[in-house]
Amino acid sequence: MMWLTWRQFRAQAIAAAAALVAFAIVLALTESRMASMYNSSGLLTCHGGACSGLATAFLVQLSSGQGVSFLPVGANVYVMLYFLSVLIILVAPAIIGIFWGAPLIARELEAGTFRLTWNQSVTRTRWLTVKLALIGLAAMAVAEAFSLLQAWWAAPIGKAVGLGGGASIFSEGRFGWFVFPTHGITPIGYAAFAFALGVTAGLLVRRPIPAMAVTLAIFAAFQAFVPLWIRPNLFPTSQTTATIAASGANVSLRANPALTLIASIVPGRPGAWIISSEGVNAAGRPVGTVPAACESAISDTLGSHQGTTAGPDPAALNNCVARHGIRVAESYQPASHYWPLQLAETGFYLALALALAWYCFWRLNRRNS
Amino acid sequence: MTAVIETEGLGKRYRTRWALAGCTLSIPAGHVVGLVGPNGAGKTTLINLATGMLAPSAGAIEVLGGRPAADSAQLARVGYLAQEAPVYAGFSIADHLRLGAHLNPGWDADMARRRIDRLDLDPRQKAGKLSGGQRAQLALTLAVAKRPELLILDEPVASLDPLARREFLQDLMETVAEHQVSVVLSSHLISDLERVCDYVIVLVDSRVRVAGPVDELLAAHHLLSGPRRDPASLPAGVEVVSASHTDVQTTLLARTSGPVLDPAWTVSELGLEDLVLAYMKQPATRSHPLEVLK
Repeated sequence: MMWLTWRQFRAQAIAAAAALVAFAIVLALTESRMASMYNSSGLLTCHGGACSGLATAFLVQLSSGQGVSFLPVGANVYVMLYFLSVLIILVAPAIIGIFWGAPLIARELEAGTFRLTWNQSVTRTRWLTVKLALIGLAAMAVAEAFSLLQAWWAAPIGKAVGLGGGASIFSEGRFGWFVFPTHGITPIGYAAFAFALGVTAGLLVRRPIPAMAVTLAIFAAFQAFVPLWIRPNLFPTSQTTATIAASGANVSLRANPALTLIASIVPGRPGAWIISSEGVNAAGRPVGTVPAACESAISDTLGSHQGTTAGPDPAALNNCVARHGIRVAESYQPASHYWPLQLAETGFYLALALALAWYCFWRLNRRNS
Repeated sequence: MTAVIETEGLGKRYRTRWALAGCTLSIPAGHVVGLVGPNGAGKTTLINLATGMLAPSAGAIEVLGGRPAADSAQLARVGYLAQEAPVYAGFSIADHLRLGAHLNPGWDADMARRRIDRLDLDPRQKAGKLSGGQRAQLALTLAVAKRPELLILDEPVASLDPLARREFLQDLMETVAEHQVSVVLSSHLISDLERVCDYVIVLVDSRVRVAGPVDELLAAHHLLSGPRRDPASLPAGVEVVSASHTDVQTTLLARTSGPVLDPAWTVSELGLEDLVLAYMKQPATRSHPLEVLK
């Protein structure tokens, strides 16, 4: 069974290995330059508050491409590589689900070769066990290898962001929408799930191409809705209330004259993942409107608040709202929840993958047709 | 001797339609069994049930005393050549033999190689490039080299030209004689199987019409011709399979338990093809009594 699995999988395995090697070569060629920029940025020896300024300077230098002239691609090679590499890790599980998972059973069903293979002296259960185990492990290993390579390459960026470097294109934190599922151990879970999803779709749809489309659609839906509805709730969130200034929020206004406060900092909790924030009064009740006394600070371009923007002086509006006792209630996951959340999300996907695999075994042994 | 296939009230339903119903059979070992019937009669369904590719909706089936495809030991005892002889288009012939060797503990590598040599096939050739006859031979090689006790072939010659048909069946019979394997093979044409099978099952409209050893069936069926008369007036023990009438003469194909003694009838022997065709044409419900000229 091992032989057959390898014989049928080797083309895909070689393609994946080639992609991984190409990825590694490109990153290895550009890594030393970024590392030396980091080493000469002063971030290695900085203390306290000085660090965030240096970190921002480093990130700005990296994104502007100063001193990165050794590649013909030009100035923003690191920006391009950073997003390209993250994108590759994001789509790798989908590719695995489409090209490894979906055809696994569907191709046999479509070509009729399942009648050949399932009538050798090997049960369908064993056939599927070996296929799922070997290719599933390969899927998880490849996805994690991409992630680890990128993490090694992007380590200076991660460190600079961790030291408070902001105001740059790289400043998404570890909990960011595209950083969290591409780092740590989550790629393992995504790859296992995408592969099992592809196999299941192939078994049910019975033709490879439609099964690939179904796999892509469902996987993309999971990638979109897990960060919104599942990830924030994998652990109970913490709550805090802070002043507008301390939470790094700005008053902004949407439609008539609703008050919106989007926090960017949890005081005393660096690196926390802010899930939601809103304005509250002294009693802790949500406040949805700007106090009447602060209306003068709103620039009302169209009259009757129809074209309201925060300004002309955002600080004046912030201060006015703050003076009226409005604070920011934040709900967040502290930075210390990073690994528990990584484990929980990976476990969530592995559990889904196992459930799908179990369904495939059950279905294969009672299939009617 | 144990039965190679034993079924009891076996049935398979697809939604509302029964592809096979009320099938009760006991096929003894050591035969080459022809499973004959028109297209859509349920032959493939019966074969799929026997190989465990389908689960029955009703009744029970045992193959060589075990549940089909129950475990690897059971799978090893049954060789199966599916309709259209599926093979992996991207695999070479040598790859297929390797597949057989890796997946079957009882694999007879010498036999497989000898067969490929005898067929004059290049082991490096991709299976996708083979002709229909060559592909069927390759698939048959896989099915027989695992050294099964029972070989099940679903329409093995349907897609072959007449010459390839003859070669395939000849080769099959040599293999059967050499290795003492029981065979069940299906076809919608009895003429394909007439030369090779010694046991026949006629399946029409998802039901078994007649089953038994060819010599016994031929001994029990007679072609009767005589003056025109209603077949219902025949004595007990004579079962009419088919009847045709001209103005003055009636010709019957009848199954009898003993010799036909009525001197009004001229009795003649008939061939397997006529017998099978008569059962295939037999309507599901009995015909109305014939109006006899007075």
